Amino acid sequence: MENVLEIKDVTYKKNQKLILKDVNLTLQPGKIVALLGENGAGKTTLMRIISGMAKNYRGSVKIDGFDKDAEKKAHLSFTDGLTGFNDSTKIKAVVDFYEVVYQDFDKSEFEQLRRFMKLDLEMRLSQLSRGMREKLIIALTFARKADLYLLDEPFGGIDAMARKKIINSIILWKNDNATILISDHFVNEIASLLDEVVIIKDQTIYAHKSADEIRSNHETIEQYYEGLYDGDEED
Amino acid sequence: MRTEGELLEFKDNIPIYLQIKQYLYREIVVGKLQPGEKIPSVRKLAVQLTVNVNTVQRALQQMNDEGILYTKRGEGNFVTEDTDLLAQTKQNLINGELDKFVQSMNALGVTNDQLSSILTNYLK
Repeated sequence: MENVLEIKDVTYKKNQKLILKDVNLTLQPGKIVALLGENGAGKTTLMRIISGMAKNYRGSVKIDGFDKDAEKKAHLSFTDGLTGFNDSTKIKAVVDFYEVVYQDFDKSEFEQLRRFMKLDLEMRLSQLSRGMREKLIIALTFARKADLYLLDEPFGGIDAMARKKIINSIILWKNDNATILISDHFVNEIASLLDEVVIIKDQTIYAHKSADEIRSNHETIEQYYEGLYDGDEED
Repeated sequence: MRTEGELLEFKDNIPIYLQIKQYLYREIVVGKLQPGEKIPSVRKLAVQLTVNVNTVQRALQQMNDEGILYTKRGEGNFVTEDTDLLAQTKQNLINGELDKFVQSMNALGVTNDQLSSILTNYLK
């Protein structure tokens, strides 16, 4: 089957500063993949490059073999923190916007997710807790029919119950052929869920491994991940 | 199957599909899953165990290959009714636990010769 994502030799600078260099990454269909790295390592930047929000990079990014922006955007689903909406916007207005903008947005699917997440359509964005906001982002993201879903730190600062809800929604709503890339700086909370881990370090893809391959060496994902940073302090 | 809300903690340094297999084998041996019984769907197991669907599928595929489960097309996976295989499976689990026990006794300096009398005394 065709690769969902193919990144070749991507280098990205912002204000003359090198953020990512020589990034190569290929993801196959049907995987749950963690994108790990310290804060500021470039996880969000990479997500923005994949989603087409950050342009002006060197190299190539293909989604399902497509490399034109419009085609790529039609095959991936990414919700960029709802930053484009005014705080007083009601959830139902956000949903209406999504329905207009994205042809693959499935409103009945969203309704199921919304009920699962116990979100009230009449609530305004300003009234949402951190956890509810993340739940809304997940519901919006999964209500689209895409082959690649990008979740940027969905577990940041939320409680265990909300986390469990989000993890269950990932298991329940993921299509067999869809691939999900989840960024996080902490792996424990999603370790049992993962097919693969991708680690960003030193401004590039430092490692890309199968989760069970790491475990076959009697190492936890966390030990493996932290092991990559051993000795860095002495540099 | 385990009751709702009970947590099965996976060790993160052993491949998850192996732990799913161990868990299901145990459920079968203790009779929580009966011979001929349909096991929960892949997605249901995935949610219950907080693992991904691929991992559950891999575990179930291997258990099919090993004969302890069989698939009815379009209906799902069922526990074998082969009593010999079920007895053998139970024996394998018992042997596995005994291996661990004997090893830790050996590590404490107890020889295999001393083991049976120590155990007999203990169980009195």
